[in-house]
Amino acid sequence: MTLWNFAWPFSSSTPGGGVAESSAPEVAQRRQDQASRWFLYSAVFWLVIPGLAGLFMAFFLFFPVISDVLPEALRPYLQFGRLRPMHVNLAIFGWLSMVYAGSMLFIVPRLTRTTLFSEKLAWANLALWNATMVGALVTLLMGLNQGREYAEMVWGLDLMMLGCFGMLAVNVWGTVLRRQERRLYVSVWNFMAATVIIMLVYGIGNVVWDTSGALYGMNDAILNYFYVHNLFNVWFTTGFLGMTLYLLPRLSGNPIWSYRLAVWGFLSVWTGQHHLLYGPGPEWLELLSVSFSIIAALPNIAFTYNFYKTMQGAWAKVKEDVPLRFLATGCVFYIFTCFQGVAQSFRNFNAQVHFTNWVIGHSHLAFVAAFSFMTFAAIYHILPRILGRDPFQRRTMEWHYWLVLVGLSVFMVTLWTAGLIQGQNWLSGGIPFIKTVEAMKPYMFLRLAGGLGVAVGVLFFAWAVLKTIRQPESIPSASERSRGQP
Amino acid sequence: MRQPTIAYLIVGSLLVLAAGLVVTVGIPAIHAPEPSENAVRYNDVQQRGRDIYIQEGCWYCHTQQVRSVEADFGMVYNPRDIGPESVPGDYVYQKPVLWGTNRQGPDLSFVSRRPHANATWHLVHLKDPRAVVKGSLMPSYAYLSDEELNALVEYLLTLQ
Repeated sequence: MTLWNFAWPFSSSTPGGGVAESSAPEVAQRRQDQASRWFLYSAVFWLVIPGLAGLFMAFFLFFPVISDVLPEALRPYLQFGRLRPMHVNLAIFGWLSMVYAGSMLFIVPRLTRTTLFSEKLAWANLALWNATMVGALVTLLMGLNQGREYAEMVWGLDLMMLGCFGMLAVNVWGTVLRRQERRLYVSVWNFMAATVIIMLVYGIGNVVWDTSGALYGMNDAILNYFYVHNLFNVWFTTGFLGMTLYLLPRLSGNPIWSYRLAVWGFLSVWTGQHHLLYGPGPEWLELLSVSFSIIAALPNIAFTYNFYKTMQGAWAKVKEDVPLRFLATGCVFYIFTCFQGVAQSFRNFNAQVHFTNWVIGHSHLAFVAAFSFMTFAAIYHILPRILGRDPFQRRTMEWHYWLVLVGLSVFMVTLWTAGLIQGQNWLSGGIPFIKTVEAMKPYMFLRLAGGLGVAVGVLFFAWAVLKTIRQPESIPSASERSRGQP
Repeated sequence: MRQPTIAYLIVGSLLVLAAGLVVTVGIPAIHAPEPSENAVRYNDVQQRGRDIYIQEGCWYCHTQQVRSVEADFGMVYNPRDIGPESVPGDYVYQKPVLWGTNRQGPDLSFVSRRPHANATWHLVHLKDPRAVVKGSLMPSYAYLSDEELNALVEYLLTLQ
């Protein structure tokens, strides 16, 4: 028929079924989902640490004197230049990546109608991942830094991180190879591709054959941003699309509008030179990279159309169903991220916003507003199904949603505005640099206020999730309370 | 009723990745740039200072690349003192390069060309930034040892 004959493997039930519809095999699976569950708990822990570090850095940028009044023994470790790599690496490799891994361990067996390839491997994977993150936390605060963005972790930790991705790939692929469902749903393709290719991207990007983790000269920067961009494409975006295409039908109750369009998510940009426009790199590479960036608008348009067609008729549900609201908000922000990314790759626009606070707004738009909102929805959806009951109160979820949404919006809009002003000031060529720094003061305050909202919202979330660790597990039964759909 | 096989998926994705690597990393590597007049071979002390620059994360807030749009035009203290356009030859002895992506502080490619930026000024500035630059966001690095601070200053003096 066609190349993309993807099936939704829950044909016997509606896509949006709740906890109680579990069939016997699902209950058997649930007992095996414990590694997945602990992946999610660990992820939440690795959200709180870099989140609080981020808040402290926002405070520092508004009021730098704080670093002079800290206890002397702490000063080196709470210095901006050491907190920042910790903030970034733990947030993307700890928080986001561990939610992705935990969700894959939960989703893949269900979409292939089988059990996980190896629960033991998943536990070992979890242990290694947490060990890597503890290592990253300690070494980055000690100042052990390879000097390349998103690739700061030292050589040993790079190898451990590769091991984490490798073990996850074995579990995903092993589960697929023993599947009972002949046809593979599109999410499974995404996970299979992401887990394998990320190993290549990570290994090559981090220059793992050299313990210094870097190359000489200009090529180091080119490879660095090749890596940064493909880390984003191959791992975060592909994983995001895989999880979204699983969660969206389940939460909205509508099947994905078009599987053909869903496959378009695979198309991605593979040069990263649009992160270095007007820099010392070759101009032809910049132009090539910009062209690919513009082409990348096509899968974004496909996703946008597919998302809105799938959500048709389900928008009323977002009022009552907070996880669906998180997911839909994440998707809207994802669309915004992609188009903003295309806009930023235009050279004349880039000339103004590059190096400014705009960039920080953009990175939080991608990693917090788009990916994290989707992963919040994933945790709110998956944990109740592993626990066999829904421990989340509507009121907590509402606080979490609104605090993070409002806080983050203030944060991002402030930084974009600040970035445009900074860029204009620098390109005027007549203002001393320090004046352009002083002009940022009010924006740094608003950014801190927004960041505070995000941090408090995240603490609501972490508290709600982490308190389910200690509660005794109920035995799943036919009479278990249904979470239901409104 | 055929599905794409797993082999298609893997081979296709790997081809795309390989093409990306060849074009973006392979081809530029063939044309290795000649060292420019600004390229510096670091001695042990300067290299030590550069390692401390990386360790303390200076490169998160200071770039080391003057873009063509701002070269000989941008202002740090005085008009046009940002410096000339950076070229690939400037970086041939650097591993890793420290181009940076964000400027909470000014570009440092040519920081020590600015008349006031001698060894004494750098040392005072590193220990107590707000004593010499009012309104600066820079943290104090007084917690570094004298040996480390001196190495860092030696490195900063190569940026000219």
